Amino acid sequence: MARVTVSVPAGPASASAESATARLPGLRRRRPVRMHRVLVLLLMLAIALVMIYPFYFMIDTSFRTQDQFQSGHGHSLSSWGKLTSALPVGQQLTNSMIVCVLSILIILAVSTMAGFAFAKLRFTGATPIFLAIIAALLIPMQSIIIPAYVNISKLNLLTSYAGAVLVYAALGTPFATFLMTAYFRGLPDELIEAAVVDGLGYGRVFARVALPLAVPAIVTVTVLQFIQIWDDLLVGLLFLQNPDERTITVGLGALSAGRVTDIPVLMAGSLVSAIPAVLVYLVFQRYLISGLTAGIGK
Amino acid sequence: MSASTATPITSRLALRRRRRPRSALARNRGRTGLVLALPAFALVALLLGIPILQAVYYSMTRWDGLVSTWVGPSTYVDQLKNPIFWRVLENNGLLLLSVPVAIVIPLGIAALLHERVFGWRFFRSIYFLPTAVSWVVIGMVSARFFAQQGTLNDLLASVGLGSVRTDFLSGEYTALLAVAITFVWSMVGTNTIIFLTGLATIDPSLHEAAKVDGAGALRIFWHITFPLLKRFVQFSFVMTVISAFTALFSLIFVMTGGGPGYGTTTLEFFVYQTAFAKGEFGTGALLGVVLFVIMAVIGAAQLKLLRSDD
Repeated sequence: MARVTVSVPAGPASASAESATARLPGLRRRRPVRMHRVLVLLLMLAIALVMIYPFYFMIDTSFRTQDQFQSGHGHSLSSWGKLTSALPVGQQLTNSMIVCVLSILIILAVSTMAGFAFAKLRFTGATPIFLAIIAALLIPMQSIIIPAYVNISKLNLLTSYAGAVLVYAALGTPFATFLMTAYFRGLPDELIEAAVVDGLGYGRVFARVALPLAVPAIVTVTVLQFIQIWDDLLVGLLFLQNPDERTITVGLGALSAGRVTDIPVLMAGSLVSAIPAVLVYLVFQRYLISGLTAGIGK
Repeated sequence: MSASTATPITSRLALRRRRRPRSALARNRGRTGLVLALPAFALVALLLGIPILQAVYYSMTRWDGLVSTWVGPSTYVDQLKNPIFWRVLENNGLLLLSVPVAIVIPLGIAALLHERVFGWRFFRSIYFLPTAVSWVVIGMVSARFFAQQGTLNDLLASVGLGSVRTDFLSGEYTALLAVAITFVWSMVGTNTIIFLTGLATIDPSLHEAAKVDGAGALRIFWHITFPLLKRFVQFSFVMTVISAFTALFSLIFVMTGGGPGYGTTTLEFFVYQTAFAKGEFGTGALLGVVLFVIMAVIGAAQLKLLRSDD
C-alpha cells in the first residue's frame, strides 16, 4: 500500500521530497533514481504507442474517403455516412446484444447452481460430474463444431438465435462452473448450515443466501463471456445463417471476406463493433483480471 | 460402519432415531445437489460431449453432412499421407515459435509496470486493451499494416529500407510471420496482466534484501523474481500455446483466408476449410479430433507440471 501512495504524486517536487524523507543518507542517489524512472516512463510510452496504434489507425482512416486514405491527405465524414448501407449497424449491434444476453443468462443460471452444488452439497457422483464438466474445457470449439452444426441444423435452429446461443452457452459453461465452484468453496460451510438449521431448504439457501454473496463471481463470468461472445466469429458465422440475425462481428467478418475495397468504411465498422466490448472492459477491468488469473490456482 | 454393527441393537436403534432427521436432511441435500448440477452437466454433455464422440465416429467415415459411409480407421492413415496435412501442422509448429516471444516481452513489460512509476495504472489499461477487441477487428487493421502500401512498409522506407517494400501477406512465410506478429501483439496485454499479478504476490522485502546485498537488477530478476513467477509463467505459457492452436481462426479468416496457398492455414482453420468450404465433413471431423488430441496432451502435461510442483 505504501508503494502505491508513493507513486501517485508525480511532480518533481513531491518526488524529491519523498526520496529525501525516505532515504536521507542516500541523497546523492536521487538523480540516478529519477533518471531511471524517466527512462521507464519513456519505455512505457513507447510500448503504449505500439498498443494504441491500431486504434489511432482505425479512427484516422474512418474519417477519410477511400481516395484520401490512399493518398494520405485530407479527412472527411463521408465514410461514416456510407457505413449503414454497407453494414446494418443498428440491427447487428442489437443482434450481438441479444445473443450475448441470452447466452450469458443461461451460463450464469447453470454455473451458479452447479457451482453451489459442487462446493456445498456433497452428493453422490459430485466428483465425476464435476470432472466431466471441467474436462470439457479441453475440447476446442473447432473439434465439436462440425457435429454440433449438423445436429443443430437437424433441429432447424440455424435460422434463429437459439442455435448460436446454445453453443455459446455450452462453450462458456465449463469455465464458469469452475469459477463458481471455486468461489462458493470460499464461503464458510457454517453460513450454509446455519441457514439450513433456520429451516430454509437447500434450494432456498442457494437462492437467498449464497447467490447474493456470489455477485463478484457473477460479474466476472458476465464480463469474460460478454467479451468472448461479442468478439466471436466462428460460431456466429456457422450458426446464424439468417443475415438478419448476424452479430456485428460476424457482419464485419463477412464484409471483410467479401472483397470490400472501401477500407475507411470497414474501419468505421470495426470501430463501432469494438466500442461496446471496450467500454465493458474499461468499466469492469478488475473483474476481467480476476477471471483471467482464476485458473492459476494457489 | 463396522463400529455401528458391533454396538448393541438397542443403542443402534437409538442412534438411528437420533440420526433420522439429519439423514433426511442429508438426503435432501444430496437430491438438491444433483438437481442443481444437472442442467450444467446436460448442457455440456449434449453440446460438447456428444459432438466430440460424434466427431470421433464421423472421422472414420466419408460424410457430407447428410449421408455418411463407414470407412474405418484407415481415414487417419490416409490423412497422415496427405502432404497438405503436414504443411498445416508445420504452420502450427512455426506459430509455436512465437510463444516464447509472447512470454518474454510481457515479462519485461510487467517488470516495468511493477516499478509503479507515474501513470502505471493508465499504461496497464492501455496494454491490456487488445484483450477486449475481436480478432476480426485486429485482423482487419493488421492486414492494412502489413500490406504493400501499409504502415510497416512506410516505416521501413523511412529508415532507408524502401527497397524491401513488399506485400507481406502475399508471401507464404512472410504472411505467417505477419500472423505471428499480430498474435504476439494481442497476447502482450493478457500475459502482462498475468505476470503483474504474479509480481504482486512477491514479498518486496526479498528484493530489498538482495539490493542491500549488492545484487544488480538483472540478477535479482533472474535469481529471485523469475523462480517465484514460475507458476505464472507456466500458466501463461500453456494459455498462449492453447491460443496459438485454437484462437486464431478469426484472425486468419480476416487477414489471409489461410493463404497464400496453405501458407497461413493452421489446423483449426483447416478444419473449417475442409468441412465448410470443401464439404468434406468426415475429414473435417477427423482434423478436429486431431486438434482435440493435441489439446488434451497439452492439458495433461500441464496437470502433471502443476502436480510435480506440489
